[in-house]
Amino acid sequence: MRVALADDAAVLRAGLARLLGDAGVEVVAQVDSAEQLLAAVDEQQPDVAIVDIRMPPTWSDEGITAADAIHRRHPHVGVLLLSQYVEAEYALRLLERAEERTGYLLKERMLDLSDLLDALDRITAGETVIDPTLVTQLIGRHRSHSPLDDLTPREREVLSLMAEGLTDRGIAERLYLTPNTIETHVRHILGKLGLPATANDNRRVRAVIAYLRSA
Amino acid sequence: MRAVRLLIWTGSALLCGAMLLSAVHGIWPPAGKAAISLAASLAGITIGLVVWDRRPESRTGLFLTAYPLAGLLADLGSYYWGSSFAMTIALATSWLAAPIFGQLVLTYPTGRFTSRLDRALVEIAYGAAGLYALVFLVFVSPRSLTDSADWHCWVCAPPVTQIASRDLTGTHRIFDWIFVALALALLVLLFRRLVRATPAGRRVVLPLAVATCALAVEFLVQTSLYGTNLNTWTSSAWFVISTVTDLAVSVALAAGLLWLGRGRGAVAGLVVELQQTPPGGVRDALARTLGDPSLELALWLPERSGYVDGAGRPVELPELDSRRAVTVLGPSDSPVAALVHDPVLLERPALLASAGAAARLSLENERLQAELRAQLAELHASRARIVSAGDEERRRLERDLHDGAQQRLLSLGIALQLLRGKLGVDANGAGELLDEADDELRAALDELRELARGIHPAVLTDEGLGAALRSLAGRSAVSVTIAAIPDDRLPAATEAAAYFVVSEALTNVAKYAGTAEARVSVSRRNGRMLVDVEDDGVGGADPSRGTGLRGLADRVHALDGVLELDSPPGHGTRLHAEIPCA
Repeated sequence: MRVALADDAAVLRAGLARLLGDAGVEVVAQVDSAEQLLAAVDEQQPDVAIVDIRMPPTWSDEGITAADAIHRRHPHVGVLLLSQYVEAEYALRLLERAEERTGYLLKERMLDLSDLLDALDRITAGETVIDPTLVTQLIGRHRSHSPLDDLTPREREVLSLMAEGLTDRGIAERLYLTPNTIETHVRHILGKLGLPATANDNRRVRAVIAYLRSA
Repeated sequence: MRAVRLLIWTGSALLCGAMLLSAVHGIWPPAGKAAISLAASLAGITIGLVVWDRRPESRTGLFLTAYPLAGLLADLGSYYWGSSFAMTIALATSWLAAPIFGQLVLTYPTGRFTSRLDRALVEIAYGAAGLYALVFLVFVSPRSLTDSADWHCWVCAPPVTQIASRDLTGTHRIFDWIFVALALALLVLLFRRLVRATPAGRRVVLPLAVATCALAVEFLVQTSLYGTNLNTWTSSAWFVISTVTDLAVSVALAAGLLWLGRGRGAVAGLVVELQQTPPGGVRDALARTLGDPSLELALWLPERSGYVDGAGRPVELPELDSRRAVTVLGPSDSPVAALVHDPVLLERPALLASAGAAARLSLENERLQAELRAQLAELHASRARIVSAGDEERRRLERDLHDGAQQRLLSLGIALQLLRGKLGVDANGAGELLDEADDELRAALDELRELARGIHPAVLTDEGLGAALRSLAGRSAVSVTIAAIPDDRLPAATEAAAYFVVSEALTNVAKYAGTAEARVSVSRRNGRMLVDVEDDGVGGADPSRGTGLRGLADRVHALDGVLELDSPPGHGTRLHAEIPCA
């Protein structure tokens, strides 16, 4: 696996590069701006670009803009965006713009190397990855009279993993169940929440997150 | 001064009476004609004296008196043609009425010259009249003047000052035409005044110009008729016309002056009116009293050393020119206010002064209010600045925490992981210590994130009020129903105020309401943002509880908004805020 790192905090970036290197991930470029990232991706064609959302010059959403550009120019290069905030709004904005091979993780996920590596694998495999902390927050909200109340504990579990961007197969592996069982759960969940039965992709993640946000 | 006027009137009346007696008993002039002429003169003098009495500040009354009086004295020669004494007086004053009239007209209505040219013309006229008097007093042979239609003076007595007798008929004609020229010059100067006058001033000058034209025409005709023998009827008609014209001019000028001065009575009305004038109405009352709708009021603020208008906005007084004039009320070193008005009012200084004096107390009041409003506006602006500076500082702090402290903690966390890799599996129990350090680090990151969000949520800045409120509702300890939420972006201060209102309210619901449900609604109506947070809890919330609500109220007030807490015991609590968001 070959990745490019873009983060303007040099010490952090170097640490992450070393951590990934030790885990067998080849870090082909380390840059500190969106502009340099695009040049590096053009040149190196990595599997995934790991991008901090806040970068110079305005420290607002340079990372998201860069992700757009990378998806446009190199559809096969995945992008993993790292955010400082646990906010569904940011994730949704990202999902609305990116098609697939996209991930939205909290920056703190750097501290859980296995999660990070898993996310990189899934993105390379064409999946969408949403940070579990965000999903937990969305599902754990206090609501009165929500269709979520009608879900069984198992269905809630499945819904969380759907929101994290896992495929039916991924969910099955995570829960030690068969893909067929998961398919049945998914069908029930979508029915109870009144969501369209869409394909197993970015659009399903987006629909589930949007539902959870406004529920 | 009243005694002087009384003396003048009594003397004039006695003189008129004596002259009438002389006419009745003598052969010239005819008694009827004399009666009309003398009555007109006495009427003119009376009018002049009345004006003088009523408007002592204007010298116009003096000139209005002197003009017919000079005419009367000049007539003495026709009545007492046998008396050298009377003849002397008549000759001395024969042209005196002309410069007096010029001065009357050119200085109307104040009685004071406003232009050097005007003064020069009148001085020349006085000079000409004096020269005429001098020449004729010394050399005249009265008989030589007898071909005038009205001058039957075959046996007139010479003046007491006569030194030699000469035929001065030609000289007399020369002076006639000199005065015709001066009359024309007078008309030109009046026309100049008319052109230069402001609209209000024109109302004063126009009747004056008409009257003067009438007299000038009369004078021109009379001079042209010199030596012509008119029949009796024409002669009588002309006599009546000229006498009536003369008197009419006096009446018109006197009436005009008294009308100009009518403000005196109005000042009394002003005093009464000001008692009922609402704050800010002093200008209108003054404008009505002074008859100048264009009047502007500038109030003096000592601590600014400058003028402000009624709303407390700074104003500059205009340069003094022909269009605007400025009258400062109160002592010049510490004025109360300044009136910016039509320059024609300068001709009524007494009215300006008395109206200003009458309005002074109200103006003091108005000034205090303007001062208060100015301070209030300043206070208001500074409060808004403080809130917005505070918000800016909060945003900066939040960014510093995220970009500084959070990045460092993360670097530290990565270092711990690298360390764990170097140490291998549980080297002397170090793994346990590493786990502890890792837990501490994650806790620190969590606390840091909460701290930063409490200071200023980044999502509010980045994604707006709607996103921030959804996020807030999602993290709240109570179940929150969002009934309405704005989609568009609003000014940062407004968004922050609404956000913190909801945030504080939800915190209070969780702490005190004893319920698990709250309802949030943020909507816009008529340029105002309405923020409502309601719960169905125990109610009875104390608005003075804690500093949270008070700080919130300050924040909302700084934006000209209102914050209301409605919390009847047992019936839930409703926090309502209205914030302008044009």
